[in-house]
Amino acid sequence: MSMVMSGGRRLSPASKAALGFFARYATIIGLLAMIAVFAFLSPRAFPTVNNFTNVLNQASLAMIIAGGLTLAVIVGELDLSIGFAASLHGVLVTGLIVANKLPIPLAILIVIALGALIGFVNGIIVTKAKVNSVIATLGVGTILTGLAFAYSAGVPIVAGVPEAFLQLSLGRWLFGIPNNIVIMAAVLGGLWILVERTALGQEIQAVGGNPAAARLAGINVDRIKILGFMVSGMCAALTGILLASRLGSGTTSAADSYLLTAFAAVFLGSATMRDGEFHVLGTFVGVLIIAFGFNGLNIFGAPTFSQYIFQGAILIVAVGLASLGRMISES
Amino acid sequence: MLSSDMIASAGTKPFVLAENIAKSYGGVHALAGVSLAIAPGEVHGLVGANGAGKSTLIKVLAGLVQPDAGRVLVDGVPVSLPTPHHATDLGMSFIHQELAFIPGMTVLQNILLGVPKKTRFGMVDWQAAARDVAPIAERVGIKAPLFASVKGLSTAENWLINICRALVRKARLIVMDEPTASLSAAEAEKLFAIVEDLSASGVAVLYVSHRLDEIMRLCSRVSIFRDGRSVGCLEGAAITRPALIEAIVGGKAELAAAPERRAAVKGDVALTVKGITRAPKVNDVSFELRRGEVLGIGGLVGAGRTELVRLVYGADRADRGAMTLDGAPFAPRSATEAVKAGLGLVPEERRAEGLLLTKSVAFNLQIANLANIVRSPVWPLIHRRKREALSLQIVRDLAVKTPGIDTPVGRLSGGNQQKVVIGRWLLRAPKVLILDEPTRGVDIGARGEIHRLVRELAARGMAVIVISSEPDELPDLCDRVLIMVEGRIVSTLEGSAITRNAIVEASYFVGREPVQEDTI
Repeated sequence: MSMVMSGGRRLSPASKAALGFFARYATIIGLLAMIAVFAFLSPRAFPTVNNFTNVLNQASLAMIIAGGLTLAVIVGELDLSIGFAASLHGVLVTGLIVANKLPIPLAILIVIALGALIGFVNGIIVTKAKVNSVIATLGVGTILTGLAFAYSAGVPIVAGVPEAFLQLSLGRWLFGIPNNIVIMAAVLGGLWILVERTALGQEIQAVGGNPAAARLAGINVDRIKILGFMVSGMCAALTGILLASRLGSGTTSAADSYLLTAFAAVFLGSATMRDGEFHVLGTFVGVLIIAFGFNGLNIFGAPTFSQYIFQGAILIVAVGLASLGRMISES
Repeated sequence: MLSSDMIASAGTKPFVLAENIAKSYGGVHALAGVSLAIAPGEVHGLVGANGAGKSTLIKVLAGLVQPDAGRVLVDGVPVSLPTPHHATDLGMSFIHQELAFIPGMTVLQNILLGVPKKTRFGMVDWQAAARDVAPIAERVGIKAPLFASVKGLSTAENWLINICRALVRKARLIVMDEPTASLSAAEAEKLFAIVEDLSASGVAVLYVSHRLDEIMRLCSRVSIFRDGRSVGCLEGAAITRPALIEAIVGGKAELAAAPERRAAVKGDVALTVKGITRAPKVNDVSFELRRGEVLGIGGLVGAGRTELVRLVYGADRADRGAMTLDGAPFAPRSATEAVKAGLGLVPEERRAEGLLLTKSVAFNLQIANLANIVRSPVWPLIHRRKREALSLQIVRDLAVKTPGIDTPVGRLSGGNQQKVVIGRWLLRAPKVLILDEPTRGVDIGARGEIHRLVRELAARGMAVIVISSEPDELPDLCDRVLIMVEGRIVSTLEGSAITRNAIVEASYFVGREPVQEDTI
């Protein structure tokens, strides 16, 4: 298909429409098909309320970090620091609670503020020092990994983690719904409203869509980009905190792998319903695909290495679908 | 119209002959049949307004563009030019405005770019190459050592390197596109001497320039293009300034002055610009703009008009100069500040700088107007009904032809896209609205509507600046027209003096400063 497109040949309206439909809904169709196949193959273990709740609970952390990343990519930048940042945040929040005996809410607030600060630094480096965001955030992320090791000497902080902190992630405080799901819904809902329904959201979309036009329309492009990085940083912090709470420990590198998941989800999301444009709802669908994929692989006892292969393949397919969508909308 | 007789009368057999070359891009004729005959060793001028087809013809000769019709003959033999290599092999060399040269290399390496070199044991023998090149370099007057880096060399020296490269390739025709555009007067003199020397030694030069003085001085024959057609070929004593301008503009017939030019009931001064400068494109520009006035800025592409309004708009920062807006000092550090202060810009590159093509008509209309469509400043959710109502109103008022306000703006025609960009600013009602080439690529109907709209905005008291490269456009539209040439305002036309011919005449004005140390 991409051969046809890159050949620059004109498509007939019918095949263009069909291709457009495929590019837009392939992800959702794929998700539903995957669920159907797993349900058919494993009717007792897979299609249960319990399992679905479990999948959503597991996926919540990835959804939060990917939701934040969505803001960064909407403003036209990449944030590769999020996984490393989340790892640092997990170590830090546990340390603040265990070693510094800070009250849990205060520790959480400090860490989220730090997340915002890291995002701010990323944004300044990218907009003011004009460093490409891939390089800037990779550099910052690597520094953060170093800081996490320096802080914990590489030893997981396990002893003395209070039960109350564990309950943050494990509890079911609202109508028996797992806290992770509630927090994720609040964060993604808030991000969706921000991007789709507020004046600021219009500016965010404009900056990512065409920075030159946005600037000449009077939008402060740099400020919006910095904001995108800050949202990304705060979401990474929240993910790091919830992961530490779920694991009951602050472990360096614990959250590193969320980077890849988040990117795969964000690109899958951009191929969902809109032609290659990043959006929060799409990211939600993207994480669901990855989460159900993992869940299915687990249920069928697939070896761990297959998860890496699945995730890598998904990332490539996602980016391919996204650029297919863009090509169709531009042709 | 250039007849085949005229081509035949080129005296000696032409070296390069282009016959009835046509080329269109998506239904638009860039070339609608041009012919050109270049005799060996002659300096042949090529003139025409922006968009007349000069560049396209050069690209055809260079093998960069394939013509739809017509043929090219070299030494009387029809040739095909599928790639630039073929053109080079036939003895044609091209020196473009943006000089092809590689900053990290030596003078010699640059001269020999793309030229097969002598090798010893598979390695380039630079000493041998230098021995071959040295006499040619001396002939064109390259002062820098061949093994020196080209870093820091002046534009003039880069020209010499390009000419040298052409001679090393044994070019029999060198095409020079606006050769003196960035040369000082003294450097230009040197170039003229080289051109005359080339001609004397039998190398033909196709000299493409807007500078009619240079054309008159150097060229033995001049071909004139207009709207993609050859409209004439002047020879010898017939090459005069009035004759050239008449041919470029197309007939002496003067269009009637704009039908109803309003009496001078202009309001207070809205914007003053004093001595604003940003080297090298904008040089010491001053003007005043009143409420209710439509001020045109004419001149050739590259004269610094877009750069000037970008300074006014805060999109670039000025080196020097001051501005006031409604009497208060005005020094925007960004477009954001300019917009806040009450300016609006409809940029030249509509698709690249004006619109978000994949976003909806409503999105593009409202993007500069968000503060007016939120529910409240503390609860900045978009009021969707307000957004819809305001968008629909603009779409109706400007007669934007679109299936709906949620249609991606990229699907609209050029004229309707432009109306969306203008409509965006109507929602904000800026004090000063700047339109850069507002009707480029816009069909004739939409063009009339945009003109009416601009007059109407001015009548309502807005101060408007219009940049246009089409001499026809400004007389219809403007109360006053400034003509820019090479970064300066060279004349001001007012009222009935704003005519197509006056604009063209002034645009070709050459008032180059005496050589200044800092321009070399």
